[in-house]
Amino acid sequence: MAVLGDDIFFATIPELSARIASKEVSAEAVARAFALRLEQLGPRYNALALPLRDHAVAQAKAVDADLKRGRARGTLQGIPYGAKDLLSLANKPTTWGAKPYAAQVFDYSATVIEKLEDAGALLTGKLAMVELAGGGGYRYASASWTGPGLNPWDRTRWSGGSSSGSAAAVAAGLVTFAIGSETSGSILTPASYCGVTALRPTYGLVSRYGAMALSWTLDKLGPFAHSAEDCGLILHAIAGGDANDPGSAGKSFYYAPQYARPMKELRIGYAPADYAERADAAARPVFEAALEVFRAAGAHLVETKLPAFPYDQVLGTILNAEQGAVFEPLIASGRVEELADKAQIAGLKASLDVAAKDYLKAMRIRRQIQKAFRDMFAGLDALLAPGRTGPAPLVDEPRFPLPGAAPAAAPRDSGFGGLIQAGNLAGLPALALPCGFAGRLPVALQVVGAPFSENLLLAVGKEYQGRTDWHRKRPVG
Amino acid sequence: MTGKLTRRKLAAALAAPVAAALAQPQTPSAAAAGDELSAARERVATAAAALARQELPMATEPAFRFEA
Repeated sequence: MAVLGDDIFFATIPELSARIASKEVSAEAVARAFALRLEQLGPRYNALALPLRDHAVAQAKAVDADLKRGRARGTLQGIPYGAKDLLSLANKPTTWGAKPYAAQVFDYSATVIEKLEDAGALLTGKLAMVELAGGGGYRYASASWTGPGLNPWDRTRWSGGSSSGSAAAVAAGLVTFAIGSETSGSILTPASYCGVTALRPTYGLVSRYGAMALSWTLDKLGPFAHSAEDCGLILHAIAGGDANDPGSAGKSFYYAPQYARPMKELRIGYAPADYAERADAAARPVFEAALEVFRAAGAHLVETKLPAFPYDQVLGTILNAEQGAVFEPLIASGRVEELADKAQIAGLKASLDVAAKDYLKAMRIRRQIQKAFRDMFAGLDALLAPGRTGPAPLVDEPRFPLPGAAPAAAPRDSGFGGLIQAGNLAGLPALALPCGFAGRLPVALQVVGAPFSENLLLAVGKEYQGRTDWHRKRPVG
Repeated sequence: MTGKLTRRKLAAALAAPVAAALAQPQTPSAAAAGDELSAARERVATAAAALARQELPMATEPAFRFEA
């Protein structure tokens, strides 16, 4: 067996899979090396919630035995991964990142974890997250039972939330891939800040059984990885109907980028204001250069405006109503006070104020939003925008103003400013693609598509990553 | 100087610290928590007001089915 070099920690799934399949390295050696690295470096970024070395080694021994008998189960066989700590693993703690749930244990595993086990992937650890996936609205990155998520590119910066550990662990080469969740931005934001590729699947494509509920009509699970191709391979394994998830769309997903239309046939909507006005000054040239890559690949970039809706208020009302119902027992018990973030505690309490008529009004507007996006995608194949407008903020920077402080001035043209909220309300898939650096910190694009257009988005991502190498950059130290 | 301690004086003496404590301004953390809750409630109300301004055809049903 070959000695494991540092490059293995940043290998893509096909690269690592080839080394395991050829028996250059054993799955057990991979499991031990990654588990040790996660235990040693995970706390450096506050990325580790629960080490699972013994669990991963046991899985790896089974993989090695299978490979010895010629039982190949696909490219995820023997690949180490981490799961956001809102996914249950039978008989192990599942804290949801929050002190009130520190001792919580379920006797069943989440469907995604079972599917990945069937595919032969090795679960080396549970990954840290913002408490309750940010439910209630947190002001500071410190809103987590495991401390603020620290960015592997610069530990004075935030790793983003709420899937903080999932993004940081992939960026730092502690796992080959990770599973995170998004209700409104919790995959795209940390992926952008940590410079990793990630996919928010269409609502209902991936079962949420065994995942903490924050908002039944908004929650989605998706992968973080080293490339768009890796995201496709992972989605192939975790997608599919599930009778245990009432939101399941009952659809399968087969990763087949070879059948996607070439970039030169695609019409991609974008808003010039995103690049000229809304983006941070240091990130503008990076985003503009990324647009040029799409142009050079032959994509037809079309100036577009988002349909006009009060996205923030619609999403906020739906999220408040649903999280208020989910966490009403926590609020009523008084244990909500044990959360780390004062704004989040207040936000959860206030969520009980949402009137039924307002929730229903928001859901009626949501239907119009869904229709507006269906109409938009009749003439466009995808939308392109910055994942976030700039790099990761300082770790102690407030995410929104203190009570009584003046809100930040809005830009004259908000471009695709509401795209994260709009995309989540309409259940649309989105791919985060690292596209360069503002100073020493990564920034990313988001490519958003019509429902169930994951293969198209992944093909776009694969072509972009064939023309650039931003996704292969590694943080130092 | 000594004086007779009547029941009324005793009750007043015992009540004084309680009254003083009640009259104290809130501690900064309690005040901040109150401000946070007021601000959060205001955000809920502001969102509701924004939704109320949005006109909808009567026939628009809520998005309970997610064809996505």
